[in-house]
Amino acid sequence: MPAAVLMTVLLAAAAPGDGAAAGGLPAVKVQDLHYGDVLFHFYQQEYFDALVRLAGYRDQGRLAAHARDAELLRGGLWLSLGQHREAREIFERLLADPATPPPVRAQAWFYLGKVLYAAGQFEESGRALRSATAGLPAALDPERRLLLAQGLMYHGRFDEAVAELDGWSGAPEWTAYAQFNLGVALVRAGREERGLQLLEAVGTLVTENAELIQLRDKANVAIGYAQLQAGRPAAARVALDRVQLAGSQANKALLGAGWADAAEGGYRTALVPWLELHGRAVQDGAVQESYLAVPYAYAELGAIGQAVEYYEQAIASYDAERLRIDESIAAIRAGRLLQAALATRDDGRQGWFAQLADVPDSPESRYLYHLMAGHEFQEGLKSYRSLEAMAANLSRWSDDLGAFGDMVETRQRALATRLPSAESRLATVDIGAINSQRDALRARYEAALAERDVTAFATGEERGWLDLLDGVDAELSSRAGDAALDDAREKARLARGVVMWRLDQAWKVRTWQAGRSMRELDAAVYDARTRQAASSRARQGAPERNAELGRRVAAVAPRVASLATRVEAAKAAQERYLAAIAVGELEAQRRRLDEYSVQARYAIATIYDRASAQGQGP
Amino acid sequence: MRMTMQALLVKALVFASLAPALAEEPTPAAAERSALDTEVQELRRQVVDLNRDLFMLEEDLLFPASTQVAVFVSMDTGTFFQLDSVQIKVDDKEVANYLYTARELEALKRGGVHRVWLGNLKAGEHELVAFFTGQGTHERDYKRGATLTIDKGVGAQYVELKISDKRRKLQPEFVVRVWE
Repeated sequence: MPAAVLMTVLLAAAAPGDGAAAGGLPAVKVQDLHYGDVLFHFYQQEYFDALVRLAGYRDQGRLAAHARDAELLRGGLWLSLGQHREAREIFERLLADPATPPPVRAQAWFYLGKVLYAAGQFEESGRALRSATAGLPAALDPERRLLLAQGLMYHGRFDEAVAELDGWSGAPEWTAYAQFNLGVALVRAGREERGLQLLEAVGTLVTENAELIQLRDKANVAIGYAQLQAGRPAAARVALDRVQLAGSQANKALLGAGWADAAEGGYRTALVPWLELHGRAVQDGAVQESYLAVPYAYAELGAIGQAVEYYEQAIASYDAERLRIDESIAAIRAGRLLQAALATRDDGRQGWFAQLADVPDSPESRYLYHLMAGHEFQEGLKSYRSLEAMAANLSRWSDDLGAFGDMVETRQRALATRLPSAESRLATVDIGAINSQRDALRARYEAALAERDVTAFATGEERGWLDLLDGVDAELSSRAGDAALDDAREKARLARGVVMWRLDQAWKVRTWQAGRSMRELDAAVYDARTRQAASSRARQGAPERNAELGRRVAAVAPRVASLATRVEAAKAAQERYLAAIAVGELEAQRRRLDEYSVQARYAIATIYDRASAQGQGP
Repeated sequence: MRMTMQALLVKALVFASLAPALAEEPTPAAAERSALDTEVQELRRQVVDLNRDLFMLEEDLLFPASTQVAVFVSMDTGTFFQLDSVQIKVDDKEVANYLYTARELEALKRGGVHRVWLGNLKAGEHELVAFFTGQGTHERDYKRGATLTIDKGVGAQYVELKISDKRRKLQPEFVVRVWE
């Protein structure tokens, strides 16, 4: 499947919003910042990080607004990591929930169909994919149809598969892959005409896309050899001529082109592509076969001397190649293959072909490209890389956990030393008494307001004057009959009147100021109460919380250690498995070279027999 | 010899060229591969679960909810502003200075939200200043700031720095929003 298309499909797993983002992909309107954070990693194809964050945020209850979209994305992320069981459980759960809205349901059916397809359950996959219709984003429909067609193809229901693809008006990337697979299957099933039609559509594709160009080459090689087998060399040559000379299919195309010419008696023209192959890397199967084809053409042209010379060259080349294969097998058995394989940038076939020129000609790396072309080796290497990533991840956490443990211990010590002094300081503050004082003050304030008691808001100086006047009045009262003091009485009355007048004048301002002060006091007392409660909670909870964190750190450490051990064991097993595949492949190649060598020797012997029968030398 | 060799080679190559298209035939190593795949899948599931637990543990340990503040950056299509970097200061102290890659910008434009800073602040008021550096329309260098006063309470606090296109004015808009 083309990587670019896969990305488009995975991106569409997120809930689409109403805007259109760059690249024609749907933009997502985020209602939870943490869901957006997951998408930030998802859109960068950091699927592992995205999945971890998604699971973490979900458990922290931070994805409420995107609950179902998040589940759909979680299933898609498990699927992208190759975890089919986990993905399937999520999609089935979403489908079983009657509250799941139709667009999410359609996508869940689609992804469930993909999981079932990957498991080889084509019947069930087909049913799921057919249920994924109403509300399915348009970007997912091409893949849905491709999977349906291929599922039918694997069941041998070719006509239905063709019907599924007929009338397709979507992007050519999808149809090209489906047409190629279906075309090959039809040719193999003996339905050559229909199969070749489909392959022809791919083989004549006009595209700039590198992956599609490679697919087009494969289709043309497949057409070429199918036509050769059917005895139509001219048609074969047309298809083989369309293959690019620098691509991964070029060697096969050159060999086939030679056979197409030879089949029509054009041995001289056949020599052109075959001799071109002669100059190429001998580890390629088509090049090895050209070592037999060239002398065969010379023999047919009557150039017996050259034929013998080339057969002898072929035998020498096969012998030398067998020695190199033995060296490579020894290097692989010594565990040097993976170092070479892991040093490469990627494990995609196209990436590998592009890197072929850079691969050093050492025993461990000489056959890497050919091994990488095999699906089994590629998948095995992918698993090995995945295990390596897990090992690195666990190693990082192992280091971090050490720091976490130190942190918990340091906090524990800090709490033990600082908490008692903090508590003794806080114990000196009686928030209850402060509260009562505030209540008493408020009662006085409200009573003064109710009674319009202007003296309640007197300043200290005014209070002194009033006290002085009270003393004067008391003295004058004790000498009530003394007329000589009448003047003093009048002065005291006037003085009190002045003070009371001033207080009355200030009433409005002072009650407003007092009201504001009361409100500030309320806020300050509330703040003090809240802080004391928070501080109390913090103090009471701190040792327990820290201890709980310590328990979590302690509990998770053995999990990290145990997983790291298992990952190392799995890496070793995977390495042995990859080496076994590589050795098996190279041994098969060596057997093939043995057979070619026997054929070359047999051909030389035949030439000598004929020559001696005719009484001539070669 | 002619037909025998030709037929042999053509037959071999026809199937060599067709084979990659179809599902592979079962091999003797299939059982071993299946066992290894199962183990790798099981390990991957457990490693993801472990990472989830550690992700939460790390946050609880380093950024407890009572002091946690997270600042996120989001943007829409970015027509009028091509973001280069975001600098964040809290109480006049730089806490983050993040330079965006093209890949990260694409992720932002598609709806991703970047958690640019996760830190701890005491309860009370704090001043947060964000500076956005990039290119405005006509590739002009552009630097804008936005200020927000955060009243940090008891729970975790999330701040979104949103860059959006103001189509009517043909210029970017920088909005700071506190999420409940």
